[in-house]
Amino acid sequence: MSPETEETSRRNVLTAAGTAAVSVSLAGCLNSSEDPSDGSDSDGNSGEGSDGGESGDGSSGETQLLRYGRGSHSGTIDFQNSTSGEVAKVTVQMYDTLINFEPGASTLTEGLATDYSLEGQTATLTLREDVTFHNGEEFTASDFVATYRRFVDDSYEYYAGDDYVSAYGPFTLGSWIDEIETNGDYEMTIQLTQSYAPFLRNLAMFPSAVHSEAAIEEYGTDLSNTAVGTGPFQLENLDDGNERIRLSAYDDYWGEGPSVDEAIFVTIGQNSTRAQSLASGELDIVDGLGAQASQQVDNASNASLERAEGINIGYMAFNIASVEPFQDRRVRQAVSYAIDTEAIVNEIYAGFATQASQPLPPNVLGHNEDLEPYPYDPEQAQSLLEEAGYGDGFSFELATFQNPRGYNPSPIQTAETVASNLSEIGIDATINQQSFSPYLEYTAQGRHDACFLGWYTDNADPDNFAYVLLHPQVDDQYLSEEQDWVSFDTEGYNTSNRSGWANSEYMDLVEQGQSTYDESQRQTLYQEANAIAREEAPWVYLDYAEELRGVSNRVSGYTVAAISGPYLNLVSLN
Amino acid sequence: MISGRFVLKRLLLLVPVLLGVASLVFSILHLSPGDPALTIAGNRASEEFVRQIEESLGLNDPIWVQYVDFLVNAAQFQFGESFILFRDASVTSILIDKLPITIELAVYGQLIGISLGIPLGIISAVKQNTLTDHTTRVGALAGISIPIFWSGPLLILLFAQILGWFPTSGRISAIYNVEAIRLTGLLTIDTLLYGEWEMFISAVKHLALPATVIGIYSMALISRMMRSSMLEVIRQDYMRTARAKGQGSKITVLKHGFRNAMIPVITVIGIQFGSLLGGAVLTETVFAIQGIGGLLVEAIRVGDYPIVQGTVLTFAFLFTLVNLGVDITYSILDPRIDQ
Amino acid sequence: MSTETTTETSDELTQRGLIDRFRASPFVSSLLSNRLALAGIGIILAMLVVALYARFFIDLETITQSQLGTNPNREPPSAAYPFGTDGQARSILPRVAYGAWYALLYGTATVAFSTVLGVGLGILAAYYGDVADNVIMRTMDVLLAFPSLLLALALVAIFPDGLGLWRAVIALTLVYTPRFARVVRGAALTVLENEYVDATVALGAPDPRVLVRHVLPNCLAPITVQSTLNFGLAIIDIAALSFLGFGAAAGTPSWGLMLSNGVNLGLLTGDWWWSFFPGAALAVTVLGFNLLGDGMRDALDPRMREAVD
Repeated sequence: MSPETEETSRRNVLTAAGTAAVSVSLAGCLNSSEDPSDGSDSDGNSGEGSDGGESGDGSSGETQLLRYGRGSHSGTIDFQNSTSGEVAKVTVQMYDTLINFEPGASTLTEGLATDYSLEGQTATLTLREDVTFHNGEEFTASDFVATYRRFVDDSYEYYAGDDYVSAYGPFTLGSWIDEIETNGDYEMTIQLTQSYAPFLRNLAMFPSAVHSEAAIEEYGTDLSNTAVGTGPFQLENLDDGNERIRLSAYDDYWGEGPSVDEAIFVTIGQNSTRAQSLASGELDIVDGLGAQASQQVDNASNASLERAEGINIGYMAFNIASVEPFQDRRVRQAVSYAIDTEAIVNEIYAGFATQASQPLPPNVLGHNEDLEPYPYDPEQAQSLLEEAGYGDGFSFELATFQNPRGYNPSPIQTAETVASNLSEIGIDATINQQSFSPYLEYTAQGRHDACFLGWYTDNADPDNFAYVLLHPQVDDQYLSEEQDWVSFDTEGYNTSNRSGWANSEYMDLVEQGQSTYDESQRQTLYQEANAIAREEAPWVYLDYAEELRGVSNRVSGYTVAAISGPYLNLVSLN
Repeated sequence: MISGRFVLKRLLLLVPVLLGVASLVFSILHLSPGDPALTIAGNRASEEFVRQIEESLGLNDPIWVQYVDFLVNAAQFQFGESFILFRDASVTSILIDKLPITIELAVYGQLIGISLGIPLGIISAVKQNTLTDHTTRVGALAGISIPIFWSGPLLILLFAQILGWFPTSGRISAIYNVEAIRLTGLLTIDTLLYGEWEMFISAVKHLALPATVIGIYSMALISRMMRSSMLEVIRQDYMRTARAKGQGSKITVLKHGFRNAMIPVITVIGIQFGSLLGGAVLTETVFAIQGIGGLLVEAIRVGDYPIVQGTVLTFAFLFTLVNLGVDITYSILDPRIDQ
Repeated sequence: MSTETTTETSDELTQRGLIDRFRASPFVSSLLSNRLALAGIGIILAMLVVALYARFFIDLETITQSQLGTNPNREPPSAAYPFGTDGQARSILPRVAYGAWYALLYGTATVAFSTVLGVGLGILAAYYGDVADNVIMRTMDVLLAFPSLLLALALVAIFPDGLGLWRAVIALTLVYTPRFARVVRGAALTVLENEYVDATVALGAPDPRVLVRHVLPNCLAPITVQSTLNFGLAIIDIAALSFLGFGAAAGTPSWGLMLSNGVNLGLLTGDWWWSFFPGAALAVTVLGFNLLGDGMRDALDPRMREAVD
């Protein structure tokens, strides 16, 4: 090669190299003037950025921004538009309900109603005065009525539409409310369709929040991306592209706080990446941590893992109607004895859950303290099987979903453990795994032999578990004395009951509990119902999962709430 | 030379292809398991409520009605509203929101690829069969063989976690209100236009690792193409000139060769668009960047059909257009092609 | 490559047996003298040995099931566990070895199906021309209108989860077929224009003989090269689909799935070995196929080189 050609190519290379070098050094030397808090610092000094540093230290008089990291974005900010918990996290910052849950507890307290009571089929509420919406309008009873009608009344001029409203419309309010009467701006009486004990709790659920009547009329279905509420924060920006929602403090909020100027919800899909962002100071609070990511947070020096009892249950349902062996209670009990739930909870869920013993979790009224989880006892299982005439075993298909859910962080592994436990007593379980959406359809139609599922409470009321999940809700004419199950095809069958169980004693107790208002009476009723449910074992009770949050050290005032959180208005930054 | 007839003919041929594409997308999604109405309704819904949703979505209409509706809407870029991920937002608006995210990533990746790949390809060609050449060739092959979902996370581990030079994920730090300055959706452009220097730096730092990952792959492809087309041209021109002039001026040969060699390279850069999109899906998943690639994967997972339909159709359409453009450009540039 | 190599005329070519032609062709000899291609062959053979060993001597049950309680969990590489253990306390080395079997098995299946389908469609399109040609090639155009991973993703979503990795195989077969069809159709058209073949047809020879004896051998070189190149592509694409969660069922020792778990669950907690080894195995295998494919393309007659993608 001649020197000249080498010159040409060398020039090309140099130009290219030069450009590359410049851009790399630009990034590098810009970095050295800032705190490297975007990466991780293992010696504990991350999170406190130098001025202008990216960790967003804002406490020296600049805007205080609270950064909340979660696993998926919520594309709508209208609480009537979705049943998703992700949507709820954001709407509870901007909207209020008539009644609230105490932060971190399941007891009720005042919200937009200062006084409330339930007697017979009438709920009476006195509303709070001097509350303003973000648009300056005063809150009155007519706002609640308009909000309610928009949700469930298709004769209402501003009804949001069949394709817009979520299933919470009828579930929470529509099926139980007959009529609402207002007496002036601040007095309200609600006539129910029946005596319904959980009703006040339903008013505390996120879909029961209040829209401004003026906003309903002005925005209609645009309320899915605009918010006019009475809550502590107002909507600053809904960025669907970058999947973030930015809120700013509402100074005229009637309640406590907020202590920060702004809050932002950021989406980071992978649990470990989200935990990493917390550890490196890029976020302040994160949720949706699985077992592994929780350990990451635990090991971080500038953040801590906050845990609280959840109000949920994970279980394996027997499809009693379609699998003959399951129709014998002894077989279901045998399976319950054969599955080692302690090992599952300790090893697969890494100790972030406790063994379940009954349908109601411990912090719900009616949980029966005297009931123990089924111990791991393969011998007892074997003898029960023989008693029932299935000493030689049998086989069935266990359906499971693939992606982790809060009440079951490792469904496939859990399924494999269950299968291997059962093979020891001669029962052969084949695993059928599906993605969640087809899985829900598959199991709702009763096509499974057994399936995994779980439930996060809506309102911390026993009825929300006992009735919704284990009562068939069919007419008496379809029930039979000889069997305690019905087929999924039965008219009006409640598909949330994935077991087909129809036990009349249980059903009676639970129906009574639903319409009894006396707390101690309800407690007794549900305790009895739980005892039956444990004994009859329509489910294998797997676990009650904890609520886990990663919280940065600069955050104070944050309580882990199993229901109705996060209470960001109470949070302050150091 | 290129004739209007050629372009027109190709454009007309697009129509049946796009029709086929739309039909394929429609049938794919209607064959998928899972009931969209049930998914939307969620598991608090009564059967009656699910029926209600089915009605309102038109899912009870006969299939050919749904098909025709779909085609008519698709032709106007209407893909309906998202079922789940962005409840009630129109798919078109979501795509408009997210397209710049993927484009920004792809463009910077491509720029890295071009600025490194072209010189490397030239050097490799010019020093053919030397150690430099062999090293570069193996290096380029390695670049294509290394999966993005392996190299990406390793880069994150090394540069973001251990060394702490770059952030682990995302496009920009959460403290910056980028939504307020949105013009193009391209962070690097918008932040500069508004003079937000700090934001710009944050955006660049977040782009560094993912763009590099894409850039390595792109560089490998481009350097190979550059090398082989450069070799072709050198061989031809050199032989011709050498025979005509005896010795021949090497610089002239190379300069002339370079220009001709660039033609297929430009077309490769255009064709790369397709593989870049595949790379974008994986890169976005690894680096938690919420562009169209990540959107598609998530939408498939949860069964949000309108988004899947809209995304796949848009990509197919763009891809077809780009291919058409490349074909036309190629035939304009290449004097050998006789129209 | 020497410019003085003589090429036999196509007449002479068609008169010799297929294998003889293959062995004596300048293609094979220049291929074998290419060191990079030889390195590629070496890597592929090594992986094949590992894959076969795994298939016949490693117990799939043991390496799939969780070993929590038996083995140490998330152990870094050590003497007892050369590649370390993963989040279910399974030794990673035998899983990576078994992954080679899956990669080669499913990769071969994908390439085989798409080659057969593509060749068949290409020859049919070229031979029958007119309507058949248009219909087939327009359909191929439709498939080619999609970026490959996108089409594969969209297709994979239809199939029930029970099929596992076969979903990826079917989807990718449909994605790769058009490229073969195009290449083969082009080559077939060139051959069909040869008068010799027309003469045979005029004499009334039945279709299959014409197709197999005259058209196919001339497409052999580009088909072989395209197949080899697609092999590497298939292995990576299958791993990518598994990585995104649309491939292997959980627990399966597939490289893509191991990478996915390793990255999502292990990487940021510092358990780098969980994702490093499967990824390295993947990269090396694909590199082997790419080295070979590249060498093959170099060895190709320049005329045919343009036909190959």
